[in-house]
Amino acid sequence: MSIVITDLTLRYGQKVVLDDISLEIVGQRWTCLVGPNGAGKTSFLRALLGMAPYTGSIKDGGIEVFQNHKRNVAFVPQHPQIPQGMSVAEYVMLGRSKREGWGNESLASRSYVRKVLEETYLFGMQGNLVSQLSGGEMQRALIARALAQEPELILLDEPTSALDLHHQISVLNNIELLKEEGVTIISTMHDITLAAMFAEQIVIMKEGRVLLTGSSQDVIHSTELKQAFDNRIDVHTLDSGRPVIVASKREREEK
Amino acid sequence: MSTEQSAIAKIWNWRITAFCALILLVVTIAAVSFGPISINFFKVFKTLFDLPGGSTGQDRTVILQLRLPRVILGALVGAALATSGAVYQTVFHNPLADPYLLGAASGAGLGATIALTSTHHNLYGALPIFAFVGGVLAVMTSFIISGKFFADPNSLLLSGIAVGSFATAIQTYLQQRHSAALRPVYSWILGDLTSASWSVVAWSSIYIAIALFILFNVAKQLDGLMLSDEEAYSLGINPKRLRIIAVAAATLATATAVSASGLIGFVGIVVPHLVRGLTHRVTNRSLITISMAGAAFLVLADLGARTLLSPAELPIGVITAFVGAPFFLFVLRNRRKLVQ
Repeated sequence: MSIVITDLTLRYGQKVVLDDISLEIVGQRWTCLVGPNGAGKTSFLRALLGMAPYTGSIKDGGIEVFQNHKRNVAFVPQHPQIPQGMSVAEYVMLGRSKREGWGNESLASRSYVRKVLEETYLFGMQGNLVSQLSGGEMQRALIARALAQEPELILLDEPTSALDLHHQISVLNNIELLKEEGVTIISTMHDITLAAMFAEQIVIMKEGRVLLTGSSQDVIHSTELKQAFDNRIDVHTLDSGRPVIVASKREREEK
Repeated sequence: MSTEQSAIAKIWNWRITAFCALILLVVTIAAVSFGPISINFFKVFKTLFDLPGGSTGQDRTVILQLRLPRVILGALVGAALATSGAVYQTVFHNPLADPYLLGAASGAGLGATIALTSTHHNLYGALPIFAFVGGVLAVMTSFIISGKFFADPNSLLLSGIAVGSFATAIQTYLQQRHSAALRPVYSWILGDLTSASWSVVAWSSIYIAIALFILFNVAKQLDGLMLSDEEAYSLGINPKRLRIIAVAAATLATATAVSASGLIGFVGIVVPHLVRGLTHRVTNRSLITISMAGAAFLVLADLGARTLLSPAELPIGVITAFVGAPFFLFVLRNRRKLVQ
């Protein structure tokens, strides 16, 4: 089921953070928002969550998102609020609340949480406090909570920002598995190379506007991508045909 | 097919709650038994449950008219303060938040001081009403000043501190102007349950029961407030609405407790941490356990207040701090060992 966005505008006070955006996000696919800081990527996710008041419309299955309280949307934030004194098991069990009710600890729920903990390599750590997890473990705990939610739509804000290369791939593989279960995935990502590897649809944003939307192959070699980053990136193609996006030489020298 | 072996262990254990209920019952009967006149524990039990062989005459009057209302009021106030403290700690993401944080104590203190320093002596009887109104008005002022009406918990917290300081300043000014009222105001600030009667129990139990009923109903969802608003929203709760409900109910409980018994400190911070530390669970499903532990703690503290220097009485606030602080430090110190 696609999400259709029409004339979406979002303001924080006088500041326009999303400016008249119209696009269609294909259901059961991975869509990635890329662009420089301040492009409006996180605000776009907040609007999709129904948390920020906007004008225009965001329709999911024909219903405006902020009116559809039954939607099961999981959200993985870039900067989570880490609850003091909460164990990994309690934290991941929170993901079951929308599906089974708050505080429900049915056998089925606890079995599902165990499966999710195993998938995210957190099984055996369920008694640890989330406040004592490393950055990478915390990111996996966030993904585990989102998976426990069995969502229809998952929103991820920079899901790989705190991870080393090995865990980046591991987490992204976990997320990719969701597509097979019919979940629609929307993420922001600074690493455009990874975005091109995993996402089917890429949306290039700059200053609250969408510059281009398309498949990763179409978008990666576009002039709009360079334009979004003020021509400070270079796109190379490996022998395998895989694109690699790096900061341009001029940019590196300036740094 | 799922089995216990293929699942993680249950998080909440109701045996802890049942244990707290048993402790509360034992402490209640002990508190009714002991005092300047000691009455047999089993006789008290039989009298309370109207069984054959209970006390008669003067003992019966002491049990039913003097001690029982005081013990019940202590339990109500303890439950209200402990539960409110736990809720405030969750809402404000602050382990040091206590029920008096948003100005409820200072507002109630100002209300009580106005009643005590009034030239109209008949206002003394209306002290609980003055304290209640003062506490509620102070919290409402904090809400209004914070402007965003809960969009940002920190702005509410800061406005609560400002309103509290302002109310305290007026209270101090009034005390300086009416030095004869210094002693009763000071005594009220330290808290006491000596004014307990069935009528005080009746009106305070209504407000505290309503507040606790609301809080127990939203207890499980309060876990969502330990996350960011975006995360809470994605888990199906409206964090702004839930914060308003939780803080309003906690304030009602606190204002009622303060107006019935004065300012009894430490219960709202110590008891939630004790229960969470001993059960290794931070989840707000423990609210009902925290309320029973708070009730038992204050009933026990009041027993100490009226028996340690008998026939004189110590302010109950002195006992709660004297016993609570070292015990609290002990739990904090040993928390890591307890968790392991």
